[in-house]
Amino acid sequence: MYEERFDKRRFDELRKIEAETGVVPNAAGSARFKIGNTEAIAAVYGPEEVKPRHLEHADKATIVCKYDMMPFSVPDRAKPGIDRRDMEISEVITSALNRAIFVEDLPKSMISVYVYVTQADAGTRCASLTAASMACADAGLPMRDLVAAVAVGKVGDSIVLDLTKEEEDYEGGTTDIPIAFLQSKGEIVLLQLDGNISREDLKKAIELGRKGAQEIYEIEKNALKRRFL
Amino acid sequence: MALENYVYLKELAKKGLRLDERGYLDRREVNIKTGIINHADGSASISLGNTRVIAGVKVLPGVPYPDKPDEGSLVVNFEASDLASNYPVADKILYSVEVGRVTDRAIRESKMIDMKKLAIEPGVKSLFVYIDLYAINNDGNLLDAANLAAIAALLTTKYKVEGSETELALPIDRDKIPFSSTFVKIENKIFFDPNQLEENVSDARLTVGVSNAVNSIQKGGDGFFTLEEVDFCVEKAFLMKEKTKALVKDLLQS
Repeated sequence: MYEERFDKRRFDELRKIEAETGVVPNAAGSARFKIGNTEAIAAVYGPEEVKPRHLEHADKATIVCKYDMMPFSVPDRAKPGIDRRDMEISEVITSALNRAIFVEDLPKSMISVYVYVTQADAGTRCASLTAASMACADAGLPMRDLVAAVAVGKVGDSIVLDLTKEEEDYEGGTTDIPIAFLQSKGEIVLLQLDGNISREDLKKAIELGRKGAQEIYEIEKNALKRRFL
Repeated sequence: MALENYVYLKELAKKGLRLDERGYLDRREVNIKTGIINHADGSASISLGNTRVIAGVKVLPGVPYPDKPDEGSLVVNFEASDLASNYPVADKILYSVEVGRVTDRAIRESKMIDMKKLAIEPGVKSLFVYIDLYAINNDGNLLDAANLAAIAALLTTKYKVEGSETELALPIDRDKIPFSSTFVKIENKIFFDPNQLEENVSDARLTVGVSNAVNSIQKGGDGFFTLEEVDFCVEKAFLMKEKTKALVKDLLQS
């Protein structure tokens, strides 16, 4: 039974969050998002000419996203460069941003989004996507909404919000569900699951995720306001 | 590559002036933060004007190289990260390699880290010091920023050896720390700590890493330096070294 969390949080409590924009002054837009000991930095370039040309779409923008973990972000040393996991995460982040951004308003252009994880303690894809969406907003791209992403899951028998690495490795079994919302409409733009969970619990977990995403959404908005006001 | 104010910068340089009104030996504002990465044994974030580099050091056991069985090893890796996608040379990989290698050279050749003390079992096991450097924003002079980030991270490194809970500092000789100073030549005038605009219009670049002696030099760019100019830069590098050292004064004492 998992009755008290390793870090004493409530089951529906997020870790401490820091968010700021403009951390990469020479990029069109940038952001840093830190949740607990997980931190991601994102920079956005564009809209600009599509290179290589074969990626160009006549009717919409091309979003190219790269997710990478810095070698010192994990307890061992991660080899620099993109591995299969990085590629997959880049792909799911790209898909989410394709819905968040009005890509049809920017035909024949390219938007490059780069996200680097400086510290990892679970939930890196969620932190990365949140940072990426803030950076897109910071760059002034036309967007439906900010993306707020968080991991929910089942640790032992408890449905919990914002898992840490320690919880992901819980010996009693963990189901990890990264989820991202366009919060104001409740659109789910990223959803992954690995583990073992019933239909009812999954529904509860997603609802809990929506609640956590709302808090993240407010923090994102405040960070963007601070930059301009 | 953006060539903003190309002619204007050159005209200013002829008179020994800079667009941001600095003197030829003035450095941009430096900010140093250490202990920023929880999983690294040592870490630092450096900003040099708008240029920003972060460094993470990890000390991990490995198999020593056959030619140096009783020594630890140093691995320096600089990543010209995509966060800063505005590098002066079209070939980003080349740039990335150069900064990493020049930073590596200064630290290695100065012998600031006593590699012999990092041996655990000759020929079988020794400690590897990995220094990973990432450019977060590029506004010129990544070479000096990377050097300073690496030094600050090394000075704050605390590592543990397997099977022991004691935190150890790296065997660093504080008198041998190499500091890098980068100069560019624009219209036959020398300027210290170039920003990106200046790098773009420069004819040549000279990076000098000095501790007690000169430990590394790297000439970049298509232009040339005369013997007098090289000597001038080396002289100023020794002068700037003292100023750079003053920036990490607190770290040196700890």
